[in-house]
Amino acid sequence: MANLEQPAVLSSAFPIDYRKKRTVGSVLRTMARLGRRNKLGAFGVVLVVVILGVAIFSPIVQRYGDTQRFETANPDFNPTANPLDIAANPEKQLGSPTILTRYADPFTGDHWLGTDQFGRDIYARIVVGARLAVIIGIGASLIAVVAGTVVGIISGYFGGKLDLMLQRFVDSIQAFPGLVLLMLIVSIMDEPNLALTVAALGFLGFASSVRIVRSAVLSVSQMSYVEAARSYGARDVRIMARHVLPNIVAPVLVIFSISIGLYILAEASLSFLGLGPQDKTTWGKMVNAGRQAVDVHPWESVFSGAAITLTVLAFNLAGDALRDELDPRLRGR
Amino acid sequence: MTNYIIRRLLLNVLVLWFVATLVFVATHALPSDFAEKRVASSFSLTDQTEAIKFAREQLGTDKPLWYQYGKFMGELSRGDLGTSYETSKSTWSELGDRLPSTLELGSLIVLVSFSLSIPIGIISAVKQDTWIDYVLRAFSILGVAMPVFFAALLMALFVVRFSLFEIDVVGRPHFWTDPEAAAKLYVVPALAGGVSGGAGIMRILRSQMLEVMRQDYIRTARAKGLQDSKVWVRHAMKNAMLPVLTVMGLTLSGIVGGQIILENMFNIQGIGRFLFTSLNTRDFPPFQGTVLIIGFVIVTTNLAVDVVYAWLDPRIRYT
Repeated sequence: MANLEQPAVLSSAFPIDYRKKRTVGSVLRTMARLGRRNKLGAFGVVLVVVILGVAIFSPIVQRYGDTQRFETANPDFNPTANPLDIAANPEKQLGSPTILTRYADPFTGDHWLGTDQFGRDIYARIVVGARLAVIIGIGASLIAVVAGTVVGIISGYFGGKLDLMLQRFVDSIQAFPGLVLLMLIVSIMDEPNLALTVAALGFLGFASSVRIVRSAVLSVSQMSYVEAARSYGARDVRIMARHVLPNIVAPVLVIFSISIGLYILAEASLSFLGLGPQDKTTWGKMVNAGRQAVDVHPWESVFSGAAITLTVLAFNLAGDALRDELDPRLRGR
Repeated sequence: MTNYIIRRLLLNVLVLWFVATLVFVATHALPSDFAEKRVASSFSLTDQTEAIKFAREQLGTDKPLWYQYGKFMGELSRGDLGTSYETSKSTWSELGDRLPSTLELGSLIVLVSFSLSIPIGIISAVKQDTWIDYVLRAFSILGVAMPVFFAALLMALFVVRFSLFEIDVVGRPHFWTDPEAAAKLYVVPALAGGVSGGAGIMRILRSQMLEVMRQDYIRTARAKGLQDSKVWVRHAMKNAMLPVLTVMGLTLSGIVGGQIILENMFNIQGIGRFLFTSLNTRDFPPFQGTVLIIGFVIVTTNLAVDVVYAWLDPRIRYT
């Protein structure tokens, strides 16, 4: 029966014959029109595309490895130096043939953005951090939205005691300050890894997505088409998947796109506190590491902090633009 | 209304019980406990199992989990938040020691965020689509996107680079012991936290103002010849503030997160830093207690916001 019905429902919802044919050109023209109307949003979208490009092609654009330590020949190297001399002039490092290029200045020489305290190229680390930020932001948002949608639909559709308990659970998650909950979850491992960080952020976002999805489901459930579906004997699963879900796609997409920036920001805070993914190069970690010598060489902190700000800005602007297009009623929320 | 408040209070008790259970389960799911961490850091024994076992017996953490949970809940119902493993002082007195610093920073952050966001939000809406609006909006968009620690770092860098003043992160000054040093210490974190907290409020206030200013009663107020400033403040702002109020409750949770970071950055011995260190040392009773207190403040604020909302807006009636 389901097999017979599916194409019928699809074709009635989207009469293919009347639908305008979309080509690459028409999509681009539509986007350009929207862009002219919302310049800030267009700026955000362009920036997001650039960041995604950097993240995807990071092995090509990063120039150096993110943990590669750079050394230069030591002019004072003296293979026959005696240990007393070496100890007397620690800054010359007489005994080693090379010295680390620590704290190189930016915009000069091979290291576009300079090097950090271990002689690592800051530009390469920023590029690698972009990949991490994108993975974390999109991954966490995906988890939050998928889990939040499923639970939100069930909670809103069935209502009753289940709904009440689920909502109190969501309330109690939201009674935690986000950062505390993240700290707690991430501590489950002695050395948190990327997967755990993404899962923790996704769990945090899950609570707020459930809320929004549930309230959208509550209003959709009152619609006559849901009643109609129920009257011809459609099962609950079918109503939820075929009638409720397609009608809450807009808010779901909005939550997805608008919260990516939030997750990137939250992960940066975690990493800054030393609780981020331990084996990865993240921007929050870089800002913190750069604080060591921030008065003489602020560049590591400044560049990585600027990268966080710019990325969050880009995803926020793009998310706002998408929201304004999809659902103007949500504006300002 | 009374019924509504009573029902909400009961629900809040349920929520706080959830929070307590959640934090209990989460802390006891962590891979290491206080005894392990302490013994590992202070005994150079080859075999530490005996010492760990002894420490657990002393602390009572060798008991089965259900027993510990029952004890935790029993103490909680009497308002006892447990005793710190680290200092053997009660959680309440530990919190009391740290409350002053947190209140100093927290109230400054709230002050800065309101005194920035409310005028800026209104000006931005009143001068819609002028260059002032664009500058203020750019400021708020940046404020939302910039991590609080980066804002603080840039400001501190600015202060240090231009030798404006010395930030004393060692002496732990208070406003009542050494007001000058305290002001110098708190100005950067307060500004950074305030900008981060206020930027979101400002955006909402602006969009609400724009919405309200299209309403009929604003046109009426204008038509009867009121001054613009009176229309904006008495008629528009009053109505635009309502949704902002709701967000303020939610901003609180963000401010707590900001406090954890800022107190750590500037070595301020407040509750935020206490949360961080007690989690790191696995000193669970004060950690659990502090999370519960913060949870209590958040749910109570949200309830208060809803009640005030109904009181301010006669269109809203709860039953």
